[in-house]
Amino acid sequence: MSNAVLEMRGVTKEFRGVPAIQSIDFTLRDGEVHALLGENGAGKSTLSKILAGVHHPTSGDLLMDDRPLVLSTPADALHKGIAMVFQETNLVPSMTVAQNIYLGDEKLLNRLRGLYIQAQQFLQSLNFHVDPMALVSELGAAQKQMVEIARAVHHKARIIIFDEPTATLTPEEKHHFFNLVRRLKQQGVSIVFISHALEEALALSDRITVLRDGQHVVTDDTRNFDRHKIIQAMVGRTLSGDLYGTGGQQDRAVRRPGRRVLSVQNVSMGRIVRNTSFSVFSGQVTGFFGLVGAGRTETLKIIAGAHKRDTFFGGEVVFEGRRVRYRVPRKAVRDGIVYVTEDRKIEGFFETMSIAENIHMGHLATGTNPLSIVSMREARAMAAEWIKALDVKAIDGNARIIELSGGNQQKVVIAKALIQKPKLIIFDEPTRGVDVGAIVEIHGLINRLADEGIAVVVISSYLPEIMNLSDRILIARQGKIVEEMDRREANEQKIMYAAVH
Amino acid sequence: MRTMRLTQEGVVFLIALVLFVGFAITLTDFVSPGNLMTLLRSVAILGILGLGMGLVVVGRGIDLSMVAVMVVAVSWAIVIGQTEIGFATGILAGLIFCILTGLVVGVLVAYAEVPAIFTTLAMGSIVYGIGRSLFFTLDVQNVPPGNEWFAFLGRGTILGIPMAIIAFGIVAAVLHLVLRKTRFGRFIYASGDNPQAARIAGLPYRPLLVTQYVVSSCIAYVAGLVMAASVSGMNTRIFNSTMIYDVLLVVVLGGIGLAGGRGGVRNVIVGTLLVGVLLNGMTIMNISLTYQNLIKSVILLMAILIDTLLNPRDEQTSQQGDI
Repeated sequence: MSNAVLEMRGVTKEFRGVPAIQSIDFTLRDGEVHALLGENGAGKSTLSKILAGVHHPTSGDLLMDDRPLVLSTPADALHKGIAMVFQETNLVPSMTVAQNIYLGDEKLLNRLRGLYIQAQQFLQSLNFHVDPMALVSELGAAQKQMVEIARAVHHKARIIIFDEPTATLTPEEKHHFFNLVRRLKQQGVSIVFISHALEEALALSDRITVLRDGQHVVTDDTRNFDRHKIIQAMVGRTLSGDLYGTGGQQDRAVRRPGRRVLSVQNVSMGRIVRNTSFSVFSGQVTGFFGLVGAGRTETLKIIAGAHKRDTFFGGEVVFEGRRVRYRVPRKAVRDGIVYVTEDRKIEGFFETMSIAENIHMGHLATGTNPLSIVSMREARAMAAEWIKALDVKAIDGNARIIELSGGNQQKVVIAKALIQKPKLIIFDEPTRGVDVGAIVEIHGLINRLADEGIAVVVISSYLPEIMNLSDRILIARQGKIVEEMDRREANEQKIMYAAVH
Repeated sequence: MRTMRLTQEGVVFLIALVLFVGFAITLTDFVSPGNLMTLLRSVAILGILGLGMGLVVVGRGIDLSMVAVMVVAVSWAIVIGQTEIGFATGILAGLIFCILTGLVVGVLVAYAEVPAIFTTLAMGSIVYGIGRSLFFTLDVQNVPPGNEWFAFLGRGTILGIPMAIIAFGIVAAVLHLVLRKTRFGRFIYASGDNPQAARIAGLPYRPLLVTQYVVSSCIAYVAGLVMAASVSGMNTRIFNSTMIYDVLLVVVLGGIGLAGGRGGVRNVIVGTLLVGVLLNGMTIMNISLTYQNLIKSVILLMAILIDTLLNPRDEQTSQQGDI
């Protein structure tokens, strides 16, 4: 059982002279599930990409079955039995499931009917319920993952590497996924499993390796670990105010609702948001929970002006006692509604700009005169204030934002929003792709904002986060708010029940 | 971090310098005062157009209608000037025409969300068609006699510097200040860098786009006036030449990435110098237009290649903070 199928010895990988991982020793045993944990930038992705042949180690050796192994390309790795299932799935969206599974094996003349039958049998043998004739673009996240896994199994992969496989899955899909991993394990496949969710790693893996700053910290059997120990290994210190813990956070007093800042009645947008109604009060955190696709982001984007609600029978949005219908976010921003995006790379920051310019852009956006003079000194001074307030870890404001870690990027995006002096601030998945240390800080910040009397909305798919932060919890399902709970009466079972049924 | 890294801008400047020295040594007429004047003047017009194009490209757009707008607006101004209405009024009419064209392009791009490349490509032909059918019938319009002040704009000098160069300098300086120092300029960079983020952050994204195209077509008009002044007329056939691609070459060679949000006036100036020296040198060497185009394209490809080699798109650095 304990024989190593894949081994790394003293592997170092440098990018332009900067080591991403340093002299790592890593063994993957035959038929085990090995979880790889660490903060952002700890080197998990780099390590797994070396295993998958995407990157080549700068120094050190790879061994497979005790023989030296050289992986020139991902295709070569696949050929040798190592498959990687990436975070963003690597499927061709315009092709069918069957075509994707057999991609690269086509003969000169490709008979689709035969392919479909073959794929059907193959998928059945894996116990996957996916229609081989369906287009991949029409599948949900979990099904796409099944197709990827089927492809890996089809290539007789002995080792499958999953990079954050559960990030986009609903709880039900996660359950399927876990069963699948266990089944693969029974078939003797070795699995490397990268995750941010520690519970999943604890529940699923046989062994856990923790990386920190590109270095190996600890590898041990899962039964010797608990949450606390893992976090300590990941950040190298014990976090004050235990993250999502059972400590003081959970028992703090519920904030009393202040003024009714926002009232939403019967708002609809197509088939995504359907007749939803709710209110948001100042001086407290309103948590929005729901499964992926429940229309939470869309609902709040309507309020922030980023989406438009239906022209007819689109409902009513009342902000600070005034009926509003924003066609563009600009008007909402100037009225004091600010939306902090869930995908900072796509709609959060300006990648060619420095930290200072990014933060200052938020300030500039609130002004109107296009010809007013912009002083870079003022920008830097203003940014420095926020960098200090939010504890952004960077050398100075001139550092480029893409050089920062996910957590620090998120802080910059939040600073850019806060500089606009919002009355209502909407955080959409504020800690997605953010390391453990920064999560604590961002949560602290959100609580501070609510204490200062701002109306705060937090959208999250992560139950402990919702439970930890919110004073009131709204639960969305299929485009509308179906349940409202006070945090005192809420518990995970109740919330989940409302979100699913 | 800030070491002496060669940027595309620097590389292009070096190439321009090497070419200039090379031509100066090998071609006898190259450094003659007459030729240098021609070089600078032709470069100036290309440069002014490049500035307009540069602005739009920084904002993640492209304006292929610039040459058409320039040709038609200036021709119309001249045609009006030939009647009793007067040349000054004609110039005003041309300006209004440019603003209107810019507005139409901008509204189509910003509000109808037609990709800029198609909008401006079509608008170029439409504008030229309107001009040919409604404003003028001759291929070449001559500036009406008796407008000495206008001729000065093209052929005059101040302290020995041709007016064309001065015009280029003024447009460059103004644009530089606008881009670097005003809210409008910062907004252009932001919306070129990431349009969605700009929108969410509350920038007036669509009005910004419209303004860009209005400004670029006004800059094209300035270039056209300088051109008409220096040769006392406007040859409408240049609409059919490869001029718009030369302008694009200036912008891309100078290092303003077509992805938007990068570069500035300096890049346009450097690109203009290279393209100007190159075109002039090749013309003196009597290289046929076909070969000139071939050489230009190869140089464009090389510039992009060198840039990729010097500033590699490292997967790890481009994905920083991804997970």
